[in-house]
Amino acid sequence: MASSFAVFRLPEVFNHRARIDNLSRPTSKSIAATCCMRNPDQKGGRNYYDLLGVTVNSNPQEIKESYRRLQKKYHPDIMGQEGHEHTILLNEAYTVLMKDDLRKDYDASIGHVRVGFGGDELNMGYSSWNGPFRPQALFVDEKACIGCRECVHNASKTFVMEETTGCARVKVQFGDDDTSIEVAVESCPLDCIHWVEREDLAVLEYLNTPRPKQGYGVFNQGWERPQNVFMAAKTFQKYQKQQQAESLRKNVKHDVEPETEAQAQARESASLKLKMERFSVVWEWMKKVSFK
Amino acid sequence: MKVKLKLKGIPLESGVELERKAEQLPWSSEIFLMSEEVGYTVASDSETTATKEETEIEIAIGIDIGTCQCSLAVWNGSEVELIRNTRNQKLMKSYVTFRDQSPSPVGGVTNQLSHEYEMLSGSSIFNMKRLIGRLDTDPIVHQASNTLPFLIQTLGIGAKPFLAALVNNMWRSTTPEEVVAIYLVELKALAEARLKRPVRDVVLTVPAAFSRFQLTRIARSCAMAGLHVLRFMPEPAAVALLYAQQQLHKDSIADSGSEKIGLIFNMGAGYCDVAIIATAGGVSQMKALAGSCIGGEDLLQNMMHHLVPDMDTRFASRGLEEIKAMGILRVATQEAIHKLSFQPSVQIDIDLGNGTRVCRVIDVQEFEEINKGVFEKCASLVTQCLHESKVAKPEYIDDVILVGGCTNIPKLKSIVMGICKRNESYSGINPLEAAVRGAALEGALASGVNDPFGSLDLLTIQINAHSIGIRADGNSFVPIIDRNTTLPARREMLFTTAHDNQTEALIVVYEQGDEQQLLLGYFKVVGIPPAAKGVPEINVCMDIDASNMLRVMAGVVMPGSGTKNPVVPLMEVRMPTADDGHGLCADALYRSLGSTLDLVTLHNKLNA
Repeated sequence: MASSFAVFRLPEVFNHRARIDNLSRPTSKSIAATCCMRNPDQKGGRNYYDLLGVTVNSNPQEIKESYRRLQKKYHPDIMGQEGHEHTILLNEAYTVLMKDDLRKDYDASIGHVRVGFGGDELNMGYSSWNGPFRPQALFVDEKACIGCRECVHNASKTFVMEETTGCARVKVQFGDDDTSIEVAVESCPLDCIHWVEREDLAVLEYLNTPRPKQGYGVFNQGWERPQNVFMAAKTFQKYQKQQQAESLRKNVKHDVEPETEAQAQARESASLKLKMERFSVVWEWMKKVSFK
Repeated sequence: MKVKLKLKGIPLESGVELERKAEQLPWSSEIFLMSEEVGYTVASDSETTATKEETEIEIAIGIDIGTCQCSLAVWNGSEVELIRNTRNQKLMKSYVTFRDQSPSPVGGVTNQLSHEYEMLSGSSIFNMKRLIGRLDTDPIVHQASNTLPFLIQTLGIGAKPFLAALVNNMWRSTTPEEVVAIYLVELKALAEARLKRPVRDVVLTVPAAFSRFQLTRIARSCAMAGLHVLRFMPEPAAVALLYAQQQLHKDSIADSGSEKIGLIFNMGAGYCDVAIIATAGGVSQMKALAGSCIGGEDLLQNMMHHLVPDMDTRFASRGLEEIKAMGILRVATQEAIHKLSFQPSVQIDIDLGNGTRVCRVIDVQEFEEINKGVFEKCASLVTQCLHESKVAKPEYIDDVILVGGCTNIPKLKSIVMGICKRNESYSGINPLEAAVRGAALEGALASGVNDPFGSLDLLTIQINAHSIGIRADGNSFVPIIDRNTTLPARREMLFTTAHDNQTEALIVVYEQGDEQQLLLGYFKVVGIPPAAKGVPEINVCMDIDASNMLRVMAGVVMPGSGTKNPVVPLMEVRMPTADDGHGLCADALYRSLGSTLDLVTLHNKLNA
């Protein structure tokens, strides 16, 4: 994507690097359109997700609804010619985010990765990454957080206040520079901001989200989260590993007896490959990102 | 160059009849007054209308120019209203009759025919929608020249066909653009009389199969008639908008905003379009669009050839006798096809003169056998559209919307319903008025009208019906904007030179037509710094806006020069630039230039 001049690039989306002033379009109308497009760029890099007003974890249905809502606002039929540039961006973003493979590539290219751990239904990690991956990540133990807003005050691009729970959480990993993050971590009166291993982050964030709990009649209904999220995460990971190992063993056992060794091996590797595919996809992006 | 065009008023009927009509239609008296002022101008005259509408929004009117019938509709502030002519018709026959007394041809808006044969006397020109923007190498033009009762001469050299109407035993030449313009002048006068304001902006519905070149021809006709085309709308897109509005009303009652998938099948006299749409909350998103130049006219032609197998040679000379015979044959066949929609067989008994008499009984099976090809083509359009829309199963389609006159034919209905595995089609839409109503809605939307009740809280997200690309990699077509791309769209692609030290490159822009590519235009990129082949990067960018205007931009970058600025000024070209005879141009280009100015796609640039 490096070589091509800025004029043809969609201003916000592609030009992460040097921007060259827009030279084309002599008509006054399009200059106006270009100017108004520049403002969001200055506010800070907007990506496809911000453009469509969705989060990295939104599902296609949410993206579709949001896209249609925005189209109703910006489509040239409604807004006039000024909506042209913006609608092109919306279309571009929508096409990418609605196709799973394109979306993955895009996620990798901007460094925002939906960090998941295999099972799609558990893909609930909510923070995204700014810049390349680092071995450690920030995590707020929301159970301990008292909602003092100190961290949000010190590093506003990294932390946000979750309005529904009244707790702080990490929205973007390393959204601010290292010193402000350091200050934010230090400023927490309850020391509930932790540095955790990147691999554990998704599980922690998943478990940290309150979820509805089974009630008995009218009693005990409501939302719950683990008392100690770190312990819960460890148990969870252990359980997952056990399950994986078990299913692997099962496959091997079944296959060995009636088949020749080569066949068994082939089948085993195939099933392993199938199982590992979703992991390998994640690895691929990580490799891609870290080598860049 | 102004040509005054007087409009014929209401034909004289009995006095009582006229009085009754005048009561019903308060504007019928004004059409006389208005008609004196209507000019038929070749250049677009904007000076008269530009100043008046500063205080009020001018709501664009919707016009559906059909091969057979036209209609006119406008948003009246609360709903879409179809405009009736002085004979209280909502659907007006599309034809223009040339007369010898004065240069005042009259069209189907104002003219009353005593009998349909009169229309087929050689002096009336019709079916222009199938001829406009087509060259004399086009098979559609050849078919038309054999079966239409006026003169169409083809030379087969890729130029405009010669078209003439018989006026007082003399062939008077005209062009499809002129005929459409004359008709549009009448429609404009009718709308102005009804709305009591000047009309300038229009939304025109066009078939999906229309090429960009055909669109420029229609736009030219509009300019001749003093109209400005605000939007060209593929007919299915207009229907989709109307469907979105109807679903919006339903939603508000049932309060369910769930997405509905609809299949629109539109077949009129000239063209057939199929589209898949997804509608929710007043927004219709088009998923796939396909169209072809097949319609009732093909059914008619096949049937005529079946009845009179030697028709092409018999009517080759176009004397008065032949034209009369052709007219008789056409009317009889048309009636027979209409009847076959309701009854199992039909008797045809006509005298073609010269002792030739056609007397036969045709039943439905025979009719379906004759037109097997047409029906197969329709089926393939529907399946193609389903496939491209990625709707996994036909069962996922919620509504099958049938539009256009031909959807009355039971066979066609059963084909479409069979593919979609449905028993009932969507019933909330009038098949003959859907397109024009949708166009009127779009007219109101694009003019910026707001409806306090939310009836205009609508949008159709349109897609591109044909892929557009350039000639590169030898003599092949490289698409840049693919078909079914959401509009507005912008795509770019990198190319490079094919020869060492090549300093110029020719960008030849094509549109993928039904069978072959159609040339839209060409321009040269000059001043490429001499370098080994494959080094200079030529960036070609295409941009289509919501009104379907295509711009092609090209620029040159030298990699390794340290700057990403283009080395020569960028070119921006509005397409199409080609005029009539563009088939000749493409050949000439290829002959005279060979491969000296060729381009090659630059593939691995993105991974570098």
